[in-house]
Amino acid sequence: MRRREFLKLAATSATGAVLFTGCGSIGNGNPPSEFKIESPVWNPNDLRYGRDAWFATAAPPSIGGYGIIVRVFEGRAKKVEGNPDFPINLGRSCAKAQALVQELYHPDRVGAPLRLAGQRGSGQYQAIGWDEALGQVAGLIQQAPGSTLLVTEPLNGALGAIVEQFVRATGIQHASLEPDERVVLREAMRRAFGVESFPTLDLANARFLVSFSADFLHTWISPVQFARAYGAFRQGRPDVRGTYYHVGPRLSGTAANADRWLPIRPGAEGLVALSMAQVMLEEGLVEEANAEPFFKALGLTPEQLAADFAPERVADATGLSAEQIRELARAFAEQRPSVAIAGTSAAASTNGLFNLVAVFALNYLVGSVGSEGGLILNPASPLPDELPANRSGDAYRRWVELARQIAGGQITTVLVHRANPVYSLPPASGFQDALRSAGSVVSFSSFLDETTMLADLVLPDHTLLEQWGLVVPDPGPGYQVVAVQQPVVNPFVDSRAFGDVLIQLAAQLGKPLPWPSQEEAVRALADTLRGLGRGNVAADHPRAYFVTMQAQGGWWDERARAGEASPQAATAPANPEFSGEPGQFPFYLLPFPSDALGYGEFSHLPWLQGLPEPVSTNVWGTWLEVNPRTARDIGVETGDVVRVVTPQGSAELPVYVNPAAMPDVLSVPMGQGHTAFGRYAEGRGVNPLELVAPQVERETGALAWAATRCRLELTGRRMRIARLEGQVPAFQLEEFPIIQVTRPRT
Amino acid sequence: MQRYFRLVLFAVVLLVVLAIPVAAVLARTYFLAPTAQPVKAQPIQFPHQVHAQAMGLDCTFCHRGATTSAQATIPALEFCMNCHKVIPWQGRPELEKLVQAFESGQPVQWTKVHQLPDHVHFVHAVHLNFGFQCADCHGDVAAMGKPGVKQVRDLRMGDCLTCHQQNNARTDCSVCHY
Repeated sequence: MRRREFLKLAATSATGAVLFTGCGSIGNGNPPSEFKIESPVWNPNDLRYGRDAWFATAAPPSIGGYGIIVRVFEGRAKKVEGNPDFPINLGRSCAKAQALVQELYHPDRVGAPLRLAGQRGSGQYQAIGWDEALGQVAGLIQQAPGSTLLVTEPLNGALGAIVEQFVRATGIQHASLEPDERVVLREAMRRAFGVESFPTLDLANARFLVSFSADFLHTWISPVQFARAYGAFRQGRPDVRGTYYHVGPRLSGTAANADRWLPIRPGAEGLVALSMAQVMLEEGLVEEANAEPFFKALGLTPEQLAADFAPERVADATGLSAEQIRELARAFAEQRPSVAIAGTSAAASTNGLFNLVAVFALNYLVGSVGSEGGLILNPASPLPDELPANRSGDAYRRWVELARQIAGGQITTVLVHRANPVYSLPPASGFQDALRSAGSVVSFSSFLDETTMLADLVLPDHTLLEQWGLVVPDPGPGYQVVAVQQPVVNPFVDSRAFGDVLIQLAAQLGKPLPWPSQEEAVRALADTLRGLGRGNVAADHPRAYFVTMQAQGGWWDERARAGEASPQAATAPANPEFSGEPGQFPFYLLPFPSDALGYGEFSHLPWLQGLPEPVSTNVWGTWLEVNPRTARDIGVETGDVVRVVTPQGSAELPVYVNPAAMPDVLSVPMGQGHTAFGRYAEGRGVNPLELVAPQVERETGALAWAATRCRLELTGRRMRIARLEGQVPAFQLEEFPIIQVTRPRT
Repeated sequence: MQRYFRLVLFAVVLLVVLAIPVAAVLARTYFLAPTAQPVKAQPIQFPHQVHAQAMGLDCTFCHRGATTSAQATIPALEFCMNCHKVIPWQGRPELEKLVQAFESGQPVQWTKVHQLPDHVHFVHAVHLNFGFQCADCHGDVAAMGKPGVKQVRDLRMGDCLTCHQQNNARTDCSVCHY
């Protein structure tokens, strides 16, 4: 290299170095807000920088309404935990409650009242003021109160009281939407035990549990309560480890905990239960005196039971062997206290009510109803007139009728709060099309879900962590409990509590409700509880009483228990019916509520989307669980996309080969397939309800979502299933070879 | 000499060329030091001189969190207005900004003067309870009138460590980096 070239090169690189060092300054890349410090306008009274505060409030009624505590840091809700003082959960909580903070700070939350600014369903909205929004809704109700329908979740607690008063004052129609299996369970409780409330289990003292398809650790009525009790059942006693058998068509996360899983045909739960009863009575394992309520609940005579339900007669229909049924019956009768429950897909068959009644009536036979270690029934609400609880949702049959009325113009205005009928009802119900043609639709949702997308007006509600309420948990712990819900943070956006909106609407319509606001309603109802003169709160002054109740998280009275139970009406045995010819549709389609997303009401929360399904560890999608032998027969493996065809419709799903799947049962998780509902839910997976034929439960008219047959067609395409485990094969390290245990040579 | 002229010239040019980046880095360190920064513009020119010197208010009268928590805290506008609702503000532009912000419910976004490096935690309460005065780190803020407060101490890691060593405080990483 010549000297001149070297100098050129040196000068260039030196200049470059100088230029590059000069670029950027300290803190480069930090957001500008990092360099700002704010003087808030008002001094939050509990604000202490760097210190946290914990507030007690309540989880939503749909996941058990138990007590939670929320960590609040500088005015922001950070973390949800279980309330250690609350009798239902004693400090435990679930992922759905933990994710409530994500709902509060969700990027797609509706921040202000909206008015439709384009075609219905276009999702084009324009923000308007609250006065204008309230005026418009009041106008709609005033036009035709009789043709106005208010859709909510089942009425519960203080908010339920406000809705009830509003409906009564204005004379509008009301319908409540909840998962159909709960409708069936409620009716089963009414018939088998004469109570309106859901039952709880004294697992801490039980020795044997048999669950017929009920996914009680993850999705069935009050999973936190049962999961806590299950811990005590298995490990809480030094000398006894409870035994748990699961009878059902799918190995769910709950079933995977069982000592023994007995796979049966979908809808055969009741048949197995009757056969167990036959064995127990025939072999004299149970007292004759206990048999009377059992026979009354099922409208059978001992002779009919012995003739029609002997294990050998029903074995083929259930998918079990007669010997398996006998073993199950003996285990259930001999390891007392024993308890039997049924739910989830057992309730979602055309004979769902029979399945539930037959299984729950087994508890009569072993004397477990209301006794230690058995099935504990819950009392009614402590204020039966003022504080609604244990209300049943409307069955599918009524929704079809309502859809017809909306389409026919008898119902012109539909108001929807905390319900998403367009997603939760199958398209076969016609509800979506009806809503599309409805006169006006008003939604009170915080998110643009499928129903809200069809709304003309959106009046966003506070999330649960921002509003006042009293929640009557259903099921309770066996005695009367009320949880207090209080705002743990100030409203994050320009939303208003639904109760406040109803109270303001009623005032505008000239029919004022007894309370000036939702908060006042809660305080007034809490004071009525004080008037009962019993319970855990020891204070005389109304203010002290309410503050104590707030700090403890609720009110409960351990002595207020349910009375004697007796069967009220007989439920005759019935066989499940399925839509689709077995020849044409060889498989059972078994949708199941997702452990994390439920029936799809939690799909907008990314923490829950990312929570692995316990058996497959799949996340963020829908899949089809196929038995390995079935998969081999039709030539597919995990990741192959197949078309599932039912008499109702078809959908394309990736196969997940699951060794624990039954050969003729194809399971699909619910919860996905949203076409709206925020960025984390939209356009992901399939909603199995679109495949489900509109079969109804014979007696209650609830949707039997597990009563459809299907067949598979190959598409030749593949996709990768998002899964936590098993994506990367295990590999062997050179230095530390994987130790293989081999049988010693003899 | 003539003979070596080109060689000497080469050496000189080489030294100059190599010295440029060194000088640039040193200059950057000097000029970007926190203490060398000009006084930062604030949305309201708040005179500490009037409040802390002329009226003799204690620092913690407004910065209430200093003795109890990590942050010294900037008071809420509501707190300013406790006094300023009775102090005439008409015709005084800086006070008009305050009243206007309060009435319109608009928080005031101050520019941070003491910006600590990233990844470090500083807890005011611990230092004050040990016996330090505010002025030990912040200088005589009470004497700083308009246009505003200036950082007088380096407050970078070297500064922290020196002070911790002088006062026999712990110097392991997790004291500040947690």
